[in-house]
Amino acid sequence: MRKQAALLTLILCLAVFFGIPSAHAEKPVKLGFVYIMSGPFAAYGQFAKKGAELAVDEINKAGGIMGRPVKAYFEDSTGKPDAALRALRKLVYQEKVDCLIGLDSSGVAKSVAPSIPQLKTPLIITHAATPDVTGSVCNKYIFRISLNLAQNVKTAALLAAQTKAKTWTTVGPDYAFGHQSWEYFQKYLKEANPNAKFLPKDQVAFPPFKTTDFSSYITKVMQSKPDGVLISLWGGNLIDFVRQGSEMGFFNGDFEVLVTLGAATEVLSALKDKMPEGLWVGSRYWFLANQSPLNKAFVKNYHNRYNEYPSYNAHGAYSAIQAYKAAAEKAKSCNKDAIIGALEGLTIELPVGTITIRPEDHQAVTDACWGKTAADPAYPIRILKPMKIFKGKDITPAVCDTGCKM
Amino acid sequence: METFAANLLNGLSWGMLLFLISVGLTTVFGVLGVLNFAHGSFFMLGAYLCMQIMHIVPSFWVGIIIGPLLVAGLGVIIEKVLLRRVYDRDISFQLLLTFAILLVLDDSVRLIWGPGYHVVEAPVILAGTIPFFSHSYPVYRIFLVIIGPIIGLSLWSFFHFTRWGKVVRAAAVDREMAEGIGIRVPLLFTLVFAFGTWLAALGGALAAPHQSLAPAMGERIIIESFIVVVIGGMGSFPGAFVGALLLGLLDSFGTSFAGRAQMALPFILLAVVLLFRPQGFFGREV
Repeated sequence: MRKQAALLTLILCLAVFFGIPSAHAEKPVKLGFVYIMSGPFAAYGQFAKKGAELAVDEINKAGGIMGRPVKAYFEDSTGKPDAALRALRKLVYQEKVDCLIGLDSSGVAKSVAPSIPQLKTPLIITHAATPDVTGSVCNKYIFRISLNLAQNVKTAALLAAQTKAKTWTTVGPDYAFGHQSWEYFQKYLKEANPNAKFLPKDQVAFPPFKTTDFSSYITKVMQSKPDGVLISLWGGNLIDFVRQGSEMGFFNGDFEVLVTLGAATEVLSALKDKMPEGLWVGSRYWFLANQSPLNKAFVKNYHNRYNEYPSYNAHGAYSAIQAYKAAAEKAKSCNKDAIIGALEGLTIELPVGTITIRPEDHQAVTDACWGKTAADPAYPIRILKPMKIFKGKDITPAVCDTGCKM
Repeated sequence: METFAANLLNGLSWGMLLFLISVGLTTVFGVLGVLNFAHGSFFMLGAYLCMQIMHIVPSFWVGIIIGPLLVAGLGVIIEKVLLRRVYDRDISFQLLLTFAILLVLDDSVRLIWGPGYHVVEAPVILAGTIPFFSHSYPVYRIFLVIIGPIIGLSLWSFFHFTRWGKVVRAAAVDREMAEGIGIRVPLLFTLVFAFGTWLAALGGALAAPHQSLAPAMGERIIIESFIVVVIGGMGSFPGAFVGALLLGLLDSFGTSFAGRAQMALPFILLAVVLLFRPQGFFGREV
């Protein structure tokens, strides 16, 4: 008994002794991440985590942020606003993080946005695309590093205006994202091509989110004989729609098809050669779009580490950390208000290209890439060929149109 | 005409999948008296195991035979180890237990196969399309429309003409009486539960070539299956068939002709049935 006590004391002493040096090391910069880590969309949280861990390791290897190591904390939003808010609060009050990064779902982002000022901590959104978080419900603490719905759909509308298609319809998920995509598409296409026509509300297709059999929607759209279709389905919905649609002749070329999130790597990797060629597809980040050394290194490192190509969500999380680092170095401080000040108007080169965060609405002005799906023996998935890059300033709505009042 | 025919086939093929899931659900309820929340997870497991087996032996047919059998084996274990303990308890215990099984299975699938999407290819002879008016229609869907009634008919004959089928029906009507005349009810319950999980898994394996595999893929189909079981009559075999077809057709024609109201149609049907015929189309008076 006494022997054991002595041993225990010895271990404790050693632990304290060897523990001391680390207590003297620089205090880490704490970053808190909130993504969907469970449920049907856990894949998106996983992508973000991979991108975040890559960035944290790279930064720590290169000496951290102003000499301080970076420490990442991950929490699960479960895709629900109340759980996401709990996770954000936990990160701020319990882990005492310096900055929040995350949010996959537009619905979650919009519901938690008004509560962020209470946390007095900057939040960099990397995925949720609703225009409202840098629009009608924007506030001082919320930033977005990724391409938003308005920018992506504006690109689609510019492409649509170049085609011969006159009458357009849509297939989109039956929630705010799908409806807003269609609403913005009509608005931007009318500006670009006043002759464009749109099918009335009861003839467009908004399958509920849980749909797995899209045949009736495919039949409905094909029977309405449009000239062009905007598809804003994503993830599993898009995979199912593309497979079932190609079997039913949806992609035979009777009409133009624009898929706003068709260049997402998780969709392309699942479909492989089942993805029809020659479809116009977009994404928030396409790993082959930018030829810069920075992007090439990012894609290479990501591929070496995870054996897959970076998805837009991995890129978003990676970029948010790089932007935080740049802001901290610009402000020479990790003070939350100083970071907010430094993020406003920050211009930084990211894998996607050089972006600027607008000080007025905190939305990143970032380039968008669309392209036509094509087979390439060098890649196991469909890639985009030819690609069209749209400049951030051409596709980002003016601040006065966003409805943001800080 | 083309719209009508396409909608008919769309509705029938979805209805047949629904039927396979509902018939397992309704049989388990009819005989064991258990409302099995985990039924959708067995559907999911059937699809995943079919995919996994196809990675080892690249044949859909091997996958669809072995996959559901493995799931049925799991059903035997679950019934013997877990479910058996709650038969005599309040129904809320059964709901809690089967819901817990659902959570465990969904998360296990995520642990084993990851959270991403997977795709299963249809066998070569069913992979193509046939000309269909001005467009084409997938052979696999027509296969579903044909295989549904075949499975349905063989199940029906099994329940009506074989000794085992009659034993199952007897146990469903009166458990004590069945025990009294020498039927080994505990064994029967295990077999019926395994049979129900086999049907769910078979549905999953059949669904795999036309929908993507992801954790929680059983969610939508289980909700619609519960509607089918209620409108058809709890525990009723023909009820499941008619209910599933009705729901499938309502879904396809509703999408084309009812516009935004389509989503509400299954629930309106459910409400009407509950109001005017609470025991369902083929249910016995309660």
